[in-house]
Amino acid sequence: MALNFIEGNEAVALGAMAAGCRFFAGYPITPATTVYNAMLKYLPPEGGVCLQGEDEIASIGYCLGASMAGHKVLTATSGPGISLYSEQISFAIGSEIPLVIVNVQRLGPSTGSATKGADGDIQFMRWGSSSGLPVIVLAPVDVADCYRLTVHAFNLAEQFRCPVFLASNKEIAMTRESVDLDAVELPVTVTRKTADRGKPFLPFATPGDDTAPDFLPIGDQTLVRQTSSTHGVNGYITVDPEEINAFQHRLEKKLTAHVDEFTFFDQDLDPQARTLVVAYGVTARAARVAVAASRAAGKPVSLLIPKTLWPVPERLIVDTAAPYDRVVVVEMNMGQYVREVQRLLPGKTVDFFGQMNGNLIKPEQIREVI
Amino acid sequence: MGKTFKKPEALSDAHTHYCPGCTHGVIHRLVAETIDELGIRGRTVGIAPVGCAVLAYNYFNCDFQEAAHGRAPAMATGIKRVRPDLMVFTYQGDGDLASIGMGEIIHAANRGEKFTTIFVNNAIYGMTGGQMAPTTMPDQRTSTSPFGRKVEEVGMPIKMAELLAALQTPAYISRQTVIKPKYITKAKKAIKQAFTYQLENKCFSLVEVVSTCPTNWGMTPVQAVEWTEKTLLAYYQPGDYKVPA
Repeated sequence: MALNFIEGNEAVALGAMAAGCRFFAGYPITPATTVYNAMLKYLPPEGGVCLQGEDEIASIGYCLGASMAGHKVLTATSGPGISLYSEQISFAIGSEIPLVIVNVQRLGPSTGSATKGADGDIQFMRWGSSSGLPVIVLAPVDVADCYRLTVHAFNLAEQFRCPVFLASNKEIAMTRESVDLDAVELPVTVTRKTADRGKPFLPFATPGDDTAPDFLPIGDQTLVRQTSSTHGVNGYITVDPEEINAFQHRLEKKLTAHVDEFTFFDQDLDPQARTLVVAYGVTARAARVAVAASRAAGKPVSLLIPKTLWPVPERLIVDTAAPYDRVVVVEMNMGQYVREVQRLLPGKTVDFFGQMNGNLIKPEQIREVI
Repeated sequence: MGKTFKKPEALSDAHTHYCPGCTHGVIHRLVAETIDELGIRGRTVGIAPVGCAVLAYNYFNCDFQEAAHGRAPAMATGIKRVRPDLMVFTYQGDGDLASIGMGEIIHAANRGEKFTTIFVNNAIYGMTGGQMAPTTMPDQRTSTSPFGRKVEEVGMPIKMAELLAALQTPAYISRQTVIKPKYITKAKKAIKQAFTYQLENKCFSLVEVVSTCPTNWGMTPVQAVEWTEKTLLAYYQPGDYKVPA
């Protein structure tokens, strides 16, 4: 065992390297820039490519090209950059291009506060691109999570051929912690499935209605033509309503039907408790302290920390919340993920506590609410 | 008697959707001939734009990746950087390259990305319905400049070849046209030269091809050729604007 004293952004880079990332492109933005710095340290010595774009739109564009050439790719930005990524995210959803995006959230709106954290992009990451089709969003709680969930993010991007967000936060990303990375259990690395080269290549053919197609890279032996326009299984533009419908539903279902397979979470349940606190990201750490203090003071409370935020792990939330009278959702925004929890628990009291003043939510504040 | 003239291998059998009198077909053919002659079809990747050539992937027998509007140079950069052995070309119109994609093309050229751009300049938006482009001529009528392009309001048309040639990074930048056989021969030479520079891993290369759009210009194909020769070529003069040392 060896302790590392590193920040979340560096752990993301190490996770990316462990996952087999071969390409990084980005545009400078606080508080995401140190992901780039770390990738610059780790990637080129391993033969990978690290590239600074002229802006965010181009940076993610490079990533799409490199991914279509068969490489695992990463980009990192913050809220203003996600705004600019939007068209390319939509492109990647429609063309089923694997891609990992680190969103080191900072306080918005707009330029906002570059060095203050928030979780203000939670709904934006899910709904911020045209078409409304889903993406995967994972939310790390600490540096170890930044490392572990980044590997998962790559695996999911490869398996489901879609953009996967790591919803980081300035407070996790730029705070150094002592962590034993060797002790972090990493999943087996997944690489997108290659289509059978001996058979005629149908770029969007799938065995079922809830999976991603097999992949062949651009520039290989087999002819690959890829359009972002609405296409049939052969990759050519289609106007057939049935084929279009099947395509749209598959893009949705390939993620929503499998969310139980990648529902990451922590929980600390107390059988005596009547109240369940739900918190994610850095706020979950304050919630842990608050829950422990509350119990010590004789008031039992339970805690659920979802780390897969999108698609919403509905089964996890519904099942976990079942025994409780009251659910309290705590997040660093004006009330975003609480909407999902309310939607899933119509008969229960779902309360919300949020803060968006640039400061972390304190355990005492959570205790007051619970 | 054997065949003396045939379709390039790099062109598919599909009928194009291009309008009568449009020069996209000729330009496709010149690119395809070049791919054949250099023997690079197996390792060539085209990047399609958004615009009339969005369906180019139907017409070329090589790998094709579409890009979002204006972003073809970014897509090409990503592919070429991880697969320098591939021959990568973008095929972009004037709205795609000179308007929404201005940033991408300038920076790709300035980085000296080793891919080739075929820039089809017909001084108007085609697919979206004949709107004013950055390359629309002064007083030229379009659907968004119904009384003609007013220079005092929107400035002069942008000369992309000259603009890119002003960059200090070595590159091959040429402007050609394909409205008559005498021009086509020169355009072919320039396109082949551009691909050859890429083959030699020498520099970024771009050939601007001054083209026609009879449909959106409101002209017959013959009138379109005459107007191109008289008006467009007077402003967009053909020639090599930058050649690498």
